[in-house]
Amino acid sequence: MLVLRRRPGETIAIGADIEIEVIEISRTRVKLGVRAPRQVPVMRKETLAVAAENRQALELASSGPAGVAEVVEALRLLGAAAQASG
Amino acid sequence: MTTTAAPTICSPWLGEIRLHPDCEIFFPAGLPGFEDERRIAPVEIPAQRPLVYLQSVESERVCFVALPVYVIDRGFRLEIPEEERALLLLPEGRDPIIGEDVLCVLLLMPSGDSVQVNLNSPVVINLHNKRGAQIVRPGAPPAGYRLSADNGWTRLC
Repeated sequence: MLVLRRRPGETIAIGADIEIEVIEISRTRVKLGVRAPRQVPVMRKETLAVAAENRQALELASSGPAGVAEVVEALRLLGAAAQASG
Repeated sequence: MTTTAAPTICSPWLGEIRLHPDCEIFFPAGLPGFEDERRIAPVEIPAQRPLVYLQSVESERVCFVALPVYVIDRGFRLEIPEEERALLLLPEGRDPIIGEDVLCVLLLMPSGDSVQVNLNSPVVINLHNKRGAQIVRPGAPPAGYRLSADNGWTRLC
């Protein structure tokens, strides 16, 4: 991994089109600004995992009414069980 | 006198939906993986409560099925990172109250013959300004829960 030392206001270039600027440094966090072409997705890395989950989530509605009906039935049974126990 | 017809969406999954303009939620950053979906309408079907459908207003085929977070965890504590707080235009210094200030729902993902959710990535809707964002907590591992009719919601390892 390439390691660079930068101060606030200084930038790093990635290729010809992408720049990362150090905007602010606090005790525990660094605030970065990214300039990149619109077609280059820029996101926090943890967002990638949520994006994959969301693509998976989209499949539930598109699986049709049967898949959702099973969920509704499971929730109904859980609600009935919770009422019965308490 | 003229009246303006409410816009309608023809959802492949929900059929024709007539949208009241006040129902539409603006997601300034879309949802992760669906960054262009900025106008989303929550749709409830009474017979299917507490399920909530999040139907894109702009893409008829984009529709998520969600559950209010309290259905899975009554003691859920909402933590909103700075980035999403800014998207939702939430005031600093006070945690929003679920049900009063914000709605908080979890997207259901199919998982085998059941569904699962990630408690660490709720979709939050600011009730005061109808803005929405999905929470992505830095460094938080997925907190997956799977639904089974026999055991209820069980934590995934």
